[in-house]
Amino acid sequence: MRAALAQASLIRHRARTVLAVLGVAVAAAMLLDMVMLATGMRESFRELLLSRGFEIRLAPKGTLPFDTDATIPGVSAIIATLRKNPDVREISPVLGASIHVLAGNRDVSGSALGIDPSVQGDYELLSGRDVTTPDALVANDHLLRQLGARVGDTLNIATGYDPQTRTYSGQRKLVVTGRVKFIYGASDQSSAAMRRETLVGMNGQSRDRASLFMVRVRSGADAEQVRDWIDKQLPNVTAISIATAIAQVDERLSYFRQLALILGAVSLFVGFLLVTTLVTVSVNERAGEIAVMRAIGVSRSHVVEQIVLEGVAISFAGAVLGLALGLVTARYLNTILSAFPGLPMAIDFFLFQPRAAWSALGLLIVSGIGAGIYPAWRAASLPIAESLRREAIA
Amino acid sequence: MLLAFLLASLLAQDSSSVGRPPTTAVERQPRTIAIDDALAERAHLKVGDRVSISAGAGTVGDTVIVGAIVRRGADPSEVARGDLRVWMHLDQLQAVAGYGDRVDRFAIAATPAADIPQLIDRVNGIAFGFKAYRSRDIAVETSRTFQVVSRFHRAIGIITIVASSVFLLCIMVLKVEERRRDIAALRLMGISRATVMRAVIIEAAVVAVLGSALGVAIGWAISLVVNWHYQALYQTPLAFSIVTPPTVAFAVSLSLVLGIAAGVMASLRLVRTPPLALFGR
Repeated sequence: MRAALAQASLIRHRARTVLAVLGVAVAAAMLLDMVMLATGMRESFRELLLSRGFEIRLAPKGTLPFDTDATIPGVSAIIATLRKNPDVREISPVLGASIHVLAGNRDVSGSALGIDPSVQGDYELLSGRDVTTPDALVANDHLLRQLGARVGDTLNIATGYDPQTRTYSGQRKLVVTGRVKFIYGASDQSSAAMRRETLVGMNGQSRDRASLFMVRVRSGADAEQVRDWIDKQLPNVTAISIATAIAQVDERLSYFRQLALILGAVSLFVGFLLVTTLVTVSVNERAGEIAVMRAIGVSRSHVVEQIVLEGVAISFAGAVLGLALGLVTARYLNTILSAFPGLPMAIDFFLFQPRAAWSALGLLIVSGIGAGIYPAWRAASLPIAESLRREAIA
Repeated sequence: MLLAFLLASLLAQDSSSVGRPPTTAVERQPRTIAIDDALAERAHLKVGDRVSISAGAGTVGDTVIVGAIVRRGADPSEVARGDLRVWMHLDQLQAVAGYGDRVDRFAIAATPAADIPQLIDRVNGIAFGFKAYRSRDIAVETSRTFQVVSRFHRAIGIITIVASSVFLLCIMVLKVEERRRDIAALRLMGISRATVMRAVIIEAAVVAVLGSALGVAIGWAISLVVNWHYQALYQTPLAFSIVTPPTVAFAVSLSLVLGIAAGVMASLRLVRTPPLALFGR
């Protein structure tokens, strides 16, 4: 009965109801996007860091991994120190360097990682084989496309370019043995990987140095405790656990989180205001009708429920439409933000999580109920006789 | 990179210098550095303090005197990075960092009459180990991050405009529909449809302009709060939100157009309905 009356009231003014639902839908879309933005980046980054199971990263003191060209000296000594901790299961030292691929008159530049293939956590092999020999190299599609090269080709790779003398510190012919996807690489980045000793051998300045260590801890061990231990044992490195990395990224991207919070709150308020205004106007127009209902014995609670139901119906319809719209706009907005220079391909600013959708829907329904309360209270407290007399005169 | 080394290794106040007798003329006088206010605050430094500065963590460095504490300029590329900055004499930085007689870049100011492209071509023609770029080109290349943020803001702006347009349209339709009985009375009194429509449209336009004026005032106040918050958060004088005359003109024009459109739509519906029907008869 209440639902039927609420439905009749909404259908009576179709244009107005449709406009209100559209308004709530756009606000709901924005709200969903902002909830996704506020939680998605962090979750996406956490998933990315944990994707290969390395819980701790060691970077040169005061820097983030690959944030600068700084390197850590004494790789062997650091590995020996880390091995003393029984909670450390695997250590993957990584050296980063710029490379130049010399092909005829062309000089294609890119970045290279020197890794140990048995413990590397930087790329996934798509085809071919890993860098099992010192003269092997794996490359991503972007670099292969730039070079027009394929698996099996031999490339002339140079490192350590000195602009003063226009010479390279090392040059070597390497065979492309596989196609890979770099987990932390940007989409427009030309990257390759080779064995660390190969890169060290080519880059004279980087002997026994690494840009980064990735550490996998024993199952059940407390990564934070291991991180504290490393901090004490190795004063020339910064040990970063997943939690500290997320905190640092949070700090750098706090602007987006706060923007999401502000815009989400504004969207919710706009939706609330729209539904309140519409239902209030509707109640004002039906003052006589409501007075008649009250006069023939319909209870106050019945009137309140009917009015609140109208608000909830508009909010619910708008929310469902808005959630669908929100997914489309989130994808569009994500495409824009994915163009950030150097951003890993795997990072999503707008990550859909069912929890985010339920949160947005829940907030909208609560706001719909809240929006119906004021007009419902007005409707329930209408003086019956006076309202009937005013209606009769009008 | 060089800066990062230095920032990472700026050591705490050099306690060994406390109570040290005055230096003789033969003894080398420590040179001065400038530090930014964030570093001064974090390390509790003030002008005149002696600090030891080195390029490697835990290594012995040069003792220098804090000669100035400066407030950093509004550089968007530094926002949210939280880096601390030290300004040193070039030769001292080269010595501390073991950089030799090298620099990362030269900045060249040309005379007003200079032909910049020709000058760049000449420099590049004789250059050995470096390349000249126009500052404007470097700015374009380094501003990619801000172009992305700007595109994101524009997209969010479009969604907000769509939401506020629907909201405004809805409110204006309600506002005009509230007047159905007045309009019916005017029509029964013999006032023409055109006059009634004009009256409704003018009313809608006035409401839209008044609403947008209030919106501009609220927007301006929010802009102040946003700037105050983010400037304190990121310790930067950068303005995050600016209310410009074109922004105000756009907001008022859009609201006026939507207000008039809603007025036209609603009043057309009302004047086409027979007056008695508007009374509910």
